[in-house]
Amino acid sequence: MIFEAQAARIGRPIEESYRATREFVSLFAQAIIQSFVPPYRVKDIFKQLSFMAAESAPVVIFCLCFAAVVTIIESSFHMKLIIQNDSLVPGFAALLIIRELGAVVTALLVTSRVGAGIAAEVGSMQITEQIDALKMLGINPVRFLVVPRFVASLLGGVLLTIIANCVCLYVAMLVSEVKLGYTPGSFIMAMRAFVHFKDMFFATIKGACFGAVIPIFSCYFGFRCKSGAEGVGLATTNSVVATSVAIIIIDFVLSWVFSYLY
Amino acid sequence: MASPVLELKSVSLSFGENKILSDVSLVINQGDVLVLMGPSGHGKSCLLKLLAGLLAPTRGELIVEGHNFFSLTEIERDVLRRKMGMLFQKNALFDSLTSAENIGFPLNETTTLSNIEIEKRISRFLTAVGLAEARDRYPDEISGGMQKRLGIARALALDPQIIFYDDPTAGLDPITSRKIMELIISLAREQGTTVVAVTNDMNRAYQLGHKLAMVVDGELIVTGTPEETKQHKDPRVHQFIRGDLKGPLTAMLESADQNHDSGARHD
Repeated sequence: MIFEAQAARIGRPIEESYRATREFVSLFAQAIIQSFVPPYRVKDIFKQLSFMAAESAPVVIFCLCFAAVVTIIESSFHMKLIIQNDSLVPGFAALLIIRELGAVVTALLVTSRVGAGIAAEVGSMQITEQIDALKMLGINPVRFLVVPRFVASLLGGVLLTIIANCVCLYVAMLVSEVKLGYTPGSFIMAMRAFVHFKDMFFATIKGACFGAVIPIFSCYFGFRCKSGAEGVGLATTNSVVATSVAIIIIDFVLSWVFSYLY
Repeated sequence: MASPVLELKSVSLSFGENKILSDVSLVINQGDVLVLMGPSGHGKSCLLKLLAGLLAPTRGELIVEGHNFFSLTEIERDVLRRKMGMLFQKNALFDSLTSAENIGFPLNETTTLSNIEIEKRISRFLTAVGLAEARDRYPDEISGGMQKRLGIARALALDPQIIFYDDPTAGLDPITSRKIMELIISLAREQGTTVVAVTNDMNRAYQLGHKLAMVVDGELIVTGTPEETKQHKDPRVHQFIRGDLKGPLTAMLESADQNHDSGARHD
């Protein structure tokens, strides 16, 4: 009897985790499949792209400028400490920005801005029965709500990563000149020596993957939202935390995979 | 003889360990007007959502027009759902759309009607529910009664053959609730639709229903016509329709409260 009760106590979270994982994978698969099924909601995709990418660009650019300054200052400090000079800073910083910093910082910023917004919006629709209303009107909620956000976020992830990398490199070049005395020409020469086309290509793949997971996690938690203001708050928090963790893990996996392609 | 449009076969519904409905069977024929009543929290709205295919049963089958609903593909289910309309308890109006857009939205999304035809339909439905003046107002800019009427208009927009009303008079004053019921009855008569409604207002239930049923403690008791319901022998039905303070329903609620309290103490 006691054994059965304990087994049930252990079994329930496992069963719940299995069900949650299955629902998440199913939502992801449906979003991918439905993205290719016409008619395409081009107007909605552009509306979401505007919200996701265009409106996020200022905050992403602002934060990435500071990240670039920190990268140059910290790289210089560490290189002076280890190899007694900072001659490798421009190339090293450029490589770090393109391979890692641009895509990850952009994705985390977009998660806190866009992901939270999507989770709150879908969660509010869930608790006011608007999702059920969509179903009763014969409108597939995944197709109507998730697909435009998924496609826009995927494209937006790529665009924002490219813009963020360009801005970040430009600011890094300015800081290198002002703080370390490297001319823009020498910065570009160092960058050309260190950075390859592959690095930029891999950065856009990272941007696309990060962009793709943000609306899926947000909509997933939105659809599972419990009633009340607390439910919406919890769905938003869970969505931001889960997406941020997923971005870090996906970054590790992609970096590990890409390391075999050099 | 009318053919069954909706059928529940030995349906049970649970959320985790919480059993909501057990072994419920029900047949609803074309043109029936069924009213579901029963104490709060006993599963009326869940039963309505089961019939609408919004909740999947834990056990048993939902048959819609002869098809086992949950064995169909998502696309086939969407096609069947377009033959149904629903007024939700909290109306579930799309708050970013105006009254006219709320009605036009399903027409734009799921039909191939031209913009002119859609406009005509919007005007027709808004006039039918007395909201022609409020066509450009958002749901939060109109009263509760107007929101209900807008919800009804949206539920009817796709000319459904089956309409579900989840507590259509909740929170409304007696005059407005009577008007809403008359609107539901006249629309059902005009179009010969099948109606399933949830209400706890017995006067409105008698006014609307050809057939009444009571959901109590996970069980469905089909009580029959308003007259048969008034004469029903089950003491739970008897107590409910008279609103008596003493009886089996009160004992059931008190026992549930005691169990909950002792459970809380053990926790």
